[in-house]
Amino acid sequence: MNIVPQLILNSIIAGSIIAFLAVSFNLIYGATRFFNMAHGTVAIFGGYIAFFFFKTLGWNMYLSAILGILAAGLLGYIFDRIIYLPLRKRKASGMIMLVASIGVFTALQSLIQIFFTSEFQTLSDISVHDRLYTIFGATITQTQIYILIMAFIVAICLIIFLKYTIFGKAVKAISDDEEVAKIVGINTNKIIGLLFFIGSGIAAIGGIAVGFDTGLNPTMGMKLLLHGISAAIIGGVGSVYGAFIGAFVLTFVANFSIFWIPGEWQEAVAFVLLIIFLIFRPRGIIKR
Amino acid sequence: MNYTVYYIVHLLTMFSIYAILGVSLNLVVGYTGLVSVTQAAFYGIGAYATALIAKTAGFGFFSSMLIGAIVAGLIGLLIGLVLSKFRDDYYVIVTVGFNIIAYGIFMNWHSLTRGPLGIVAVPRPKIDLFGLHLDFNNNLLFLALVLVFLALIYFLARFIAKSSFGRVLKAIREDEKAIQVFGYNAFYFKLAIFVISAGMAAVAGSFFASYLRFTSPNTFVLMESILILSMIILGGLANLKGSLLGAFILVLLPELMRFVGFPNEIAAEMRQIVYGVILVLLMIFRPSGIMGEYKL
Repeated sequence: MNIVPQLILNSIIAGSIIAFLAVSFNLIYGATRFFNMAHGTVAIFGGYIAFFFFKTLGWNMYLSAILGILAAGLLGYIFDRIIYLPLRKRKASGMIMLVASIGVFTALQSLIQIFFTSEFQTLSDISVHDRLYTIFGATITQTQIYILIMAFIVAICLIIFLKYTIFGKAVKAISDDEEVAKIVGINTNKIIGLLFFIGSGIAAIGGIAVGFDTGLNPTMGMKLLLHGISAAIIGGVGSVYGAFIGAFVLTFVANFSIFWIPGEWQEAVAFVLLIIFLIFRPRGIIKR
Repeated sequence: MNYTVYYIVHLLTMFSIYAILGVSLNLVVGYTGLVSVTQAAFYGIGAYATALIAKTAGFGFFSSMLIGAIVAGLIGLLIGLVLSKFRDDYYVIVTVGFNIIAYGIFMNWHSLTRGPLGIVAVPRPKIDLFGLHLDFNNNLLFLALVLVFLALIYFLARFIAKSSFGRVLKAIREDEKAIQVFGYNAFYFKLAIFVISAGMAAVAGSFFASYLRFTSPNTFVLMESILILSMIILGGLANLKGSLLGAFILVLLPELMRFVGFPNEIAAEMRQIVYGVILVLLMIFRPSGIMGEYKL
């Protein structure tokens, strides 16, 4: 049996999940210039909120997913208001912001562990069989098709949103130079707050997608984020296209490495790829 | 031994192990300004190396500890070479990655580490010298031994910090370009201190494995590295006494929480929440920690 079509399909699906993380990480990093280490766990938080409404309370699946996205967005916004905004006002260095976000990561992950235990929880409904489709000998589930479509929609919306709205122009101005943006009258704190909301929401789509695809686990957030950051760096930090390209490069390399390296070392393969890029092409495939 | 005494000896032993880790990490983060979040990886390498060598090769504790430190130093050298290319955010993210990979290796290299089962029956140290018989199966004696090593490492670190080598490290932290203009190659200094720090962390690992007579991957997770980082930031960067204080506070804190009645089932998680909140509050209100001489 030829496994190449299946590998390609798996890479595309894993790539779209990573892309949610990478693109939202880029969005927030572009404006704030710090590595938000809690970002992946906020994404997982969104997945768990969807899990709570869908599985524990038995609400409608789509409604639960939307609530999960909104909850994660709100959490990201709150973190910005009570932690990152005060730090920015004190002109804290990027390292201080980073260490603060490590603190946020630690507390949030443990909080999730308390409420949802450390066990794997899956969002997919085992009683209802996921419909299967076959393309060139590769199998894809209906949920996975939804994930792909969502990634596509998010990418298009973001690109249009950032390019053609005043908000998008303000974001670009802040990314170029926050001080100057302030001088020309942009309310930078408000825009960054909104970016945290949008970015965390997009990340949560990734978190929910993971919940449907493989299942959720509290410690997964950091791994997702590392993949997201790797994808962002490989593609080119700060670029929407770059995040998507990086995500697919990462997952294709990791998935196809199983021809030479056992599957449990995929993590390490992805990481080595990141280091190679960091050393030889630190500004990524698409330079900004 | 009386239960209370046993309990206090246990806490002091854990404090000493964390203090060694804190002091070793402070050399890198505090003195050299490189925020490394991978100390638990070297801690683990020390623990596994000691456990494996002492059990399979039948070496004594002290020689296995030495080999463990050397192995950790060599791996630290390799990682340090990669890390020398990076600074700030990228440095942190690469160290985080290394910790996750190290955990993956402890977990997945079954033939060597026995994966999640861990290695059991790690021997305690024994001294048989000049008619002196010391058997460290006694926890009180073991504590004394760890304290001796803590003192050794503390004074070694202090010697490094106060030497001209240490002054160059501080200069690298403040302005790497400027010190290179004076003809110091920052690359070698950063690499050297990283290797030394890795070796010291491995010593803590040896004691940990031998103290519990057991080692498994779950001790050497990313959270452990973050805990060690929290200790030295709380105590104060670039201050070795601060690292001792930070380790003391963060080892005792969970015990205090237990006394005020936090339920036991969620004790580990509550503890981590408190660590996280402490880290955030420190960053907002006092980034230099209690007695720090440098802030990020």
